[in-house]
Amino acid sequence: MSDKKPVIEFKEVSFWYGSKNDKPALKNINLKIHEGDYVALLGLNGAGKTTLQLCINGVIPNSIMGEFEGEVIVYGNDTYDTPVREMAKNVGVVFDNPEFQLSQMSVAEEIALGMENLGFSYLEMTETIPEVLEIVGLEGLEERSPFGLSGGQQQRLSIAAALAMRPKILVMDEPTSNVDPIGKEEIFAVAEQLNREKNMTVIMAEHEVEVMAAYADILVVMHEGEILLNGTPEEVFSNIDLIKKLGLRMPQVTEYAHQLNQLNPGSIKKPYPVTLESAVERFKDTL
Amino acid sequence: MEPIIKVENLWHIYPTGNVTALRDISLDINRGELVGVIGQNGSGKTTLVKQFVGLLKPTRGKVFIDGEDTAPLKVQELAAKVGYVYQNPNHQLFARTVQAELEFGPTNLGVPEDEVAERVEQAIEFFGLQDLRDLHPYRIGFPLRKLVGMASIYTMKPDIFILDEPTTGQDNVTTRKVYRLIGKLRDEGATVLCVAHDMILLAEVVERMLVMRDSELIMDGTPRQVFSNDEIMASTHLTPPQITSFSLRIRKDKQNLGDVVLSVNEMVKLATN
Amino acid sequence: MQGVVIPISMVPGNSTIHRMNPLPKLLWTIGILVISFSTRNIAVLGGAFFVGLLLVFYSRITKAYVKVAMILFPISLTLITLQSIAPAFPRPWTEIVGFGPFTIYQEGIYSGISLLLRIMAMTTWAMVTIMTSHPSDIFTSLKKIGMPYVLNFVFVMTLQLIPILQNEFGTVLNAQKSRAMKGSGFGAILPSMVPVFVGAIERVQQLSISLESRAFGSSGQKTSFRQVRMAFSDYFALLLGFIVTGAVTYWVIVDKSLDWSQSIVFSPAFAITLVLGATIGFFVFALFAIRAALKA
Repeated sequence: MSDKKPVIEFKEVSFWYGSKNDKPALKNINLKIHEGDYVALLGLNGAGKTTLQLCINGVIPNSIMGEFEGEVIVYGNDTYDTPVREMAKNVGVVFDNPEFQLSQMSVAEEIALGMENLGFSYLEMTETIPEVLEIVGLEGLEERSPFGLSGGQQQRLSIAAALAMRPKILVMDEPTSNVDPIGKEEIFAVAEQLNREKNMTVIMAEHEVEVMAAYADILVVMHEGEILLNGTPEEVFSNIDLIKKLGLRMPQVTEYAHQLNQLNPGSIKKPYPVTLESAVERFKDTL
Repeated sequence: MEPIIKVENLWHIYPTGNVTALRDISLDINRGELVGVIGQNGSGKTTLVKQFVGLLKPTRGKVFIDGEDTAPLKVQELAAKVGYVYQNPNHQLFARTVQAELEFGPTNLGVPEDEVAERVEQAIEFFGLQDLRDLHPYRIGFPLRKLVGMASIYTMKPDIFILDEPTTGQDNVTTRKVYRLIGKLRDEGATVLCVAHDMILLAEVVERMLVMRDSELIMDGTPRQVFSNDEIMASTHLTPPQITSFSLRIRKDKQNLGDVVLSVNEMVKLATN
Repeated sequence: MQGVVIPISMVPGNSTIHRMNPLPKLLWTIGILVISFSTRNIAVLGGAFFVGLLLVFYSRITKAYVKVAMILFPISLTLITLQSIAPAFPRPWTEIVGFGPFTIYQEGIYSGISLLLRIMAMTTWAMVTIMTSHPSDIFTSLKKIGMPYVLNFVFVMTLQLIPILQNEFGTVLNAQKSRAMKGSGFGAILPSMVPVFVGAIERVQQLSISLESRAFGSSGQKTSFRQVRMAFSDYFALLLGFIVTGAVTYWVIVDKSLDWSQSIVFSPAFAITLVLGATIGFFVFALFAIRAALKA
């Protein structure tokens, strides 16, 4: 976390999918995300993760019907007043169903779609396509049909298609939930690499707690439309009781440390380890 | 007792493109076992499981379900014995209400009306679907739809349940519910096969793991045996649950299987002894 | 039903036609369309059909073409049957012969034959275009001649969706079989379409959000990645197309002597044979088609 200006800021944001008489999907969200942060969004289904993410590129409130309150400012643009087309220049989005994001006849055309919409020149497009394919590890597959790729490859294609528009922020909504283990690894690796090498701001909603604890700088825990926890993995997973109450999982090594401490209060000091490496380091001589 | 599923030298070759999906597979599954089938996409695990349902027939070799050779049987004829819960509930659900969905299977099997009603009540109780009974399946959110999918097979009371990725895409609360449900199924006497890559499901719920790779069955053992086999794990690109990896890393005696834990509770027990 | 693949797609090849830019091909097809609708003259229409067939042979797409023609031709035979007893032609009609409760008319036979030739001519030329051009190139060319962007996109998406949805349908049918669903008649197939539809709707909803997030549908200036080059020969073919279309259309409209509806006299024997043949041909085809659909 830096003390520079945030690149994404939610100010008292609330959203209802229907009328204000229904339950709000987002309730008084206040959130600041800085450039280069890798933010993991955790929470049960229905907690509001997808809704929050759709606010970042302006699809909410511009394209989805509902009642919107508050402000979302991304790189100085207020999403309420900025068309989604403009927001697309800064924010790329990848969703959870690999196939449902694809429509074109070839990998190259799929990547070109966004660039065409933004009026990139032919030269820019022909240069960008191999570039982004290399970043996601799909070199040479320009002519393949997107529908013939594996789930993991399709998701990486969607990432490439989003990257082609040169966003500074990548929003990913449960990108690995419909993907096999190899594909999951590939996707997490690409996200991590983009964050580390290109300082891409990554906002990922996921259920893979162990992976998020290892890769993310910041965890944001949501429940019923509200943000309940916001901090580093170690900070967040120190709130054992709340995490359990919400029905969420914590990394198994953290659970282990917690249980040891319960048996012998005070024996394990917080913060508990949240990654395999830190747990091994901490407990390796105890067995 | 005769195994409920018997596979003898099974080969399956897809006619289009001559792809060998299954290579000389032999195995027995006994009544009441809780088995996990794992492997990457393309390893043959789905092909194998489809043989049990009758959607695919052996190119060579035989598959016996409860003593009967599957080759001459139609899918509908096997449906009474083997229930297949699809990974994508949308492929299964089409009735107008959840209740009608649950009635579909047993009605097709010729179960008398009053028994169908009884089974439906049982299923609704078992899966906690009381509030959803009169709703259209597509009006329910995806995680609950998966439960309805399971319930609609449950009402058919098959001897064997095959669950395809039952916890994929689910959050923790629903996932835990599915684990409990699987356990309950087994308690009621069913044989359960889970095709999954949910490592915690495989570690904490199933008792036996069939590992598929490149059309072959490369390992058939307990979760403990499979997870501690580095070579198998590496070649299938699968990672054990975090706590299992943890125990593998810090154990002193590399040969002691007792040091390989499958759950946090086990790790705590191990550490405090 | 899941096995029946609509065989209209590009056939790989290296003929002159294949290498031609889709734009002249498209425009020639439109030209043939215009000509076909401007006349009923059997010779002109037959000629257009024949030239189309020559192009089919020349570009070596015969096998694929025959698959389509095998479905289209028998269905089009109904035109002869129907037209001969109820001509879409200004009265008065000339009776040739009575046939049971029906009367076969001179103008009807003429009309039937010319309509059949019209359809075969247009679809043959359309097939030549579609089967010798990459779909993406066709769409790019359509964009060039002013086809609305969104419509273009809908076509592309639909082309992709057809095999996907067929697959889904097959999976759903299997799922129902494993729930002991009896029978594969229409009664069982219909409810299985529900999940496919719902799946398609959910897919499109998700897709539309994904597309929006990639600035789709925005009103700004759009560029095109897929570039289709026009060679000199393409311009020549284009020009030729305009000239031929213009000239022939003018000729068939202006030259009254091309109206052969009265000049060709069909004998009663010929008329009956033709109508019977067309009707039987259609029913035989229908029988095969229904059996094939139900077996799948």
